[in-house]
Amino acid sequence: MTDLSPSSNPAPTPAPLWRRLLPPVLAATLVAVLGVALLSPSRNATDGGPLVGKPAPEFTLESLDGAQVSLAALQGRPVVLNFWASWCEPCREEAPLFRELGEKRSGENGPAILGILFQETKEQNARDFIREYALAYPNLRDPGIKTGIDYGVAGIPETVFIDKEGVIRHVDRGGLSRERLNVGLEKIGVEGI
Amino acid sequence: MKLPVASRQSPARARLLPLALSLLLSTSLALTPDQSLRAEAIGDNLRCPICTGEPITQSTNDISREMLRDVREQVAAGRSDAEIYSYFAARYGNFVLLDPPKDGVGMLLWGAPLAALGAGGLVLWRFLRRKPTAAAAATPEAEGDTFDPYLAEVQRQTRRKEGA
Repeated sequence: MTDLSPSSNPAPTPAPLWRRLLPPVLAATLVAVLGVALLSPSRNATDGGPLVGKPAPEFTLESLDGAQVSLAALQGRPVVLNFWASWCEPCREEAPLFRELGEKRSGENGPAILGILFQETKEQNARDFIREYALAYPNLRDPGIKTGIDYGVAGIPETVFIDKEGVIRHVDRGGLSRERLNVGLEKIGVEGI
Repeated sequence: MKLPVASRQSPARARLLPLALSLLLSTSLALTPDQSLRAEAIGDNLRCPICTGEPITQSTNDISREMLRDVREQVAAGRSDAEIYSYFAARYGNFVLLDPPKDGVGMLLWGAPLAALGAGGLVLWRFLRRKPTAAAAATPEAEGDTFDPYLAEVQRQTRRKEGA
């Protein structure tokens, strides 16, 4: 019985190395790809987007005071563009920052601040909001959300930072904190607040 | 305090009226039935940016409605499907396309299942082809059609014993 095994089935030659490694490598790759996909911020990112690095879409809109405001007229000045509505709670929280920015950086190199209404249901609510937070910059109507769509706005608040040359350098989604506002400001060459 | 508010409201309304009219006009944009169908088909492939996986033709919120109107305007202006898709993708990212483009990472997503299917088929084909030859090679002493290694072993052992 003992001489059975060697004479019968000769021990199978071991599979080549690459073949033995293939399954664990495949499994590890799959796990790695899933891990990266899970952990990558992509859709949850609060900044960036396809418009960063592109020229800011042009617009001419009417402010709540009836003045025509166009982006082209602001060329040569950095622009902070804030999409908001009175019903939006984070907009309420970030509003004092914009007032402060307007007060602190109103000089020669200060940015132009513009608000654009996004799905504002009642214009009077927006007026009340502006008065409540003493916002001293133009806030524009956006009929048909044309400009909003042009800037790829899906939710508010969203703030677009445009440099002197009219190129979008930073986009921030969600309520701004002082730090996040300063990140955007620095990218368009404006000192933070 | 309330009076100035009320008085400010009326000119605002007066300004809103032509605006509302122009909006009404643009929604009733004259499209041929063909163009309408095309706009609808394009809209079916555009994701409502604030919903979960819903095309703008099915969601009822303002932004979807306006995006669809935008699509209709662009169709009326004679822009191609690809141009309209890239217009929205340039603003909202490829996320807005329910049928993502087949390049870059999209290519990988589209290609990987096909490649896996092909590779699987190849492995199966090779396995099926190899089996009979491999079995034949391993059974030099086998007699008959069916080969049983244990039977062969027993036969070999008995043969050896008979010889001894």
